[in-house]
Amino acid sequence: MNALLAVLWKDLLTELRSRDRAIAMLLFSMLMVVIFHFSLPGGATAATRAYAPGLLWVAYVFAALLGLGRSFAIELENGAIEVLARAPVDRGWVLLGKTLANMLILGVVQALTALVFALFFEMNLLPVALPLAGVVALGSLGLCAVGTFFAAVAVRTRLREVMLPLLALPFYIPVLVAATRATNTLLETGSVSFASIHFLLVTDGSYLIASFILSDFVLDE
Amino acid sequence: MTDAIAKPEQHPTPSAGGGARRVSAAALAVSFALWAYLVYAAPLDSVQGLIQKILYVHVPCWFAAYAGFALTAVCGGLYLWKNDERYDRVAVAGAEVGVVFCTLGLVTGPIWAKGTWGHWWAWDPRLTMTLVLWFIYLAYLLLRSFTEGSTRTARFASVYGIAGLAAVPLNYFAIELFGGAAMHPDNLERGSLGEGMGWPFAAGAITALLAMLHLVLLRVDLERRRAAEGPSTPDWASAEGD
Repeated sequence: MNALLAVLWKDLLTELRSRDRAIAMLLFSMLMVVIFHFSLPGGATAATRAYAPGLLWVAYVFAALLGLGRSFAIELENGAIEVLARAPVDRGWVLLGKTLANMLILGVVQALTALVFALFFEMNLLPVALPLAGVVALGSLGLCAVGTFFAAVAVRTRLREVMLPLLALPFYIPVLVAATRATNTLLETGSVSFASIHFLLVTDGSYLIASFILSDFVLDE
Repeated sequence: MTDAIAKPEQHPTPSAGGGARRVSAAALAVSFALWAYLVYAAPLDSVQGLIQKILYVHVPCWFAAYAGFALTAVCGGLYLWKNDERYDRVAVAGAEVGVVFCTLGLVTGPIWAKGTWGHWWAWDPRLTMTLVLWFIYLAYLLLRSFTEGSTRTARFASVYGIAGLAAVPLNYFAIELFGGAAMHPDNLERGSLGEGMGWPFAAGAITALLAMLHLVLLRVDLERRRAAEGPSTPDWASAEGD
């Protein structure tokens, strides 16, 4: 548990000092929102706004993959990844610490992206801001749990930037299905659909437990 | 004199599993002939006509694909547990053969679907699920070829092979809960097979599973020969890739 907090603090401090990862992710997801505007007919029409939950989550997923890949790539410098693996603690906590750090960094990017999205597509997200933040947090916990786990694998392969999306995206489908449904219901009715939330909780839980149990096999010297 | 002693050491057991491969080849040949005759003799479907006979290819392909993927997951687990590379050879064979049969299923499905449902593709839960599985096990094979070091390759691949199969229920429920309507029949007990269609279907299932078994045995033998070649294998593999 202390290892979790130590890794979480280390990753957040590294990010606070350089800020390069969050800025790259934010620019990337903002660019995606701009590209959505130009690739959809009619700009900010009601029809386009109906696609908003899906578009928002697509931007989130690609921003997440961009950041998750860096999460372990920075550990390769000076062989830090070997020190992480050799630390006399359960590697599951190391992986969970990194998962939470990734989720917090992604959370900042997601909040700012949602703001830009609301501005560009003329949507008022303020009344549902709090439940929306909850749904987004639940969704990104799943994305980061499975993404951090496979980032540890992908960083040890050739073409690691290509490998991570190929490994992680099939496992993102359950999270995305439930998260986009929950976001959609929230934006349409202003209330949360509990079937989606339950499903997100089950998915997040199973991904977290699986990555904890299997951490020994992916974090190696 | 020294050559005669050294030779068997270079190729420790050149004929290991040869008997099993011959038996599986013979069984496959007999089963294939029987299947071909039974499919030819099977009655035409009263609604769908001739195109319904694709059932005897399509569904057996899924049995073989799922059996291959299950083999990968089980042998991946055994590899992580026992740390014996023989399990990893069976795992990679299962994934490769599974992907082949999965591809055949994904190709024969739309041909049948266009003829009966009128669409090449539908986001039916079972259909979507198998497409996701196809992606997962292709990623598994890519992961193997992009990872350096044979023990790390085996370890990463084992983890991914298990995770791939473990993700089936999550994916399936997600698609079923929130996705499109189911178009495939639920199961065979509902009597989706007409009279006279049971035997050719059973022969198809047995033939596909025998074909899977035979291909897995051949593939395992290839992996075993590669391993017997010695440590030169990782060298040329990584030299070729970079």
